[in-house]
Amino acid sequence: MKDPVGGNQRRARFQALCQSLRPDLLRFAFWLARDRALAEDVVQETMIRAWKAQDSLLDEGAAKPWFLTIIRREYARSFERKRFVTVDVEELIAKEEPMLAAADDQELTELRAAIFKLPGEYREPLVMQVLLGYSTAEIAAELGLSNAAVLTRLFRARKQLRVMCGEDTSLDPEE
Amino acid sequence: MMDCEQFRRTLLAEPSNEDAELRLHLATCHECTRFALQLRRFEGRLERALRVEVNPRLMEQRVVTPLRAAARRGARAWDPPHRRWLAAAASVLLGTAVAFSLWLAAPGRSLAADVVKHMAEEPNAWARTGIPVPEPLLGKVLIDSHVRLRPSAGLVSYASSCSFRGHTVPHLVVQTDSGPVTVMVLSHEALRSAMRFNEQGYRGVIIPVHGHGSLAVLERGPETNMKTVEGVAARVLGALDWST
Repeated sequence: MKDPVGGNQRRARFQALCQSLRPDLLRFAFWLARDRALAEDVVQETMIRAWKAQDSLLDEGAAKPWFLTIIRREYARSFERKRFVTVDVEELIAKEEPMLAAADDQELTELRAAIFKLPGEYREPLVMQVLLGYSTAEIAAELGLSNAAVLTRLFRARKQLRVMCGEDTSLDPEE
Repeated sequence: MMDCEQFRRTLLAEPSNEDAELRLHLATCHECTRFALQLRRFEGRLERALRVEVNPRLMEQRVVTPLRAAARRGARAWDPPHRRWLAAAASVLLGTAVAFSLWLAAPGRSLAADVVKHMAEEPNAWARTGIPVPEPLLGKVLIDSHVRLRPSAGLVSYASSCSFRGHTVPHLVVQTDSGPVTVMVLSHEALRSAMRFNEQGYRGVIIPVHGHGSLAVLERGPETNMKTVEGVAARVLGALDWST
């Protein structure tokens, strides 16, 4: 027999969960794909897949990594479905200019463009750490890397960003 | 003992690392303190840079609507029909009672103006959605006003503790079939009589709540109307439980 009250409450909780997480998930997808339209497609598909598979989410506390894993898979699938041509990063920046522009803050706009220029292997762990608040161990588990490898990527990501943004790097350690 | 090179490498990878060794080095090294301050400023900018603006309308179209459709398909079949009739009847009765008690009252005019002014500061609260705000958040927002809200109030999609006339008040958005309606629980704003208002595109009512200030309820959409507002006011009033 169905449990209408429990079922409805569970669905409501799940909807609330999606609502609270979706802005950051969309941001993560955007930085991953560097393409707003593709990010929206990926998140939409993720939400629908998550909805169908909600019974497999046993612990709401684990929702964020659960969604993140689905997003990363969906993003990978988008490569299987379409054959992407190599695009110049300056073209990507120009295309996504409305998303990257920060009103009255040219430095922030430049920093966003610099993040676009980071290699994916550095950009992804950086976004997971700064935007989503992941620990090094959590990033390592999600990306299938060792903690040391994650730390190296995070170090390089910041180092490259700081150089691209013209920060005072005189005190930065060498590679 | 950690050296400067190790300290800076660690901090560039994990700026929020608060390891005891790092703190010890920081306390003794002037150059690394300067480096840490520089990096902290950079981190603040980095975090802001990553928080690109998410267009709520696009989110609604591309993410929320499919989810809401899936939810509706799942939930409607299980809604006991007699409960819907009872809820509708109760709403009509309470709505009528509120409508009878409404008339314009001059002292409340500036209160209405302040409520409308507050609305203009939170445009994102007006999203039309079928997704309720998480229960713990709603509870947290209401607890400061010593009030609880029973589910009969309807689907609350937004809850925020807002500063209003020097007090922190709950600001809620209740979804209706014709759009979102905003409710502010104004425990500190006693009112002698109920009033309607229509200012700057917002229409609403402020009704006195005996011993607990007043309740402001308003809408701004083309699809909602005063009947919807009064219905929500009646429903919310009936669903509020005051603990003091």
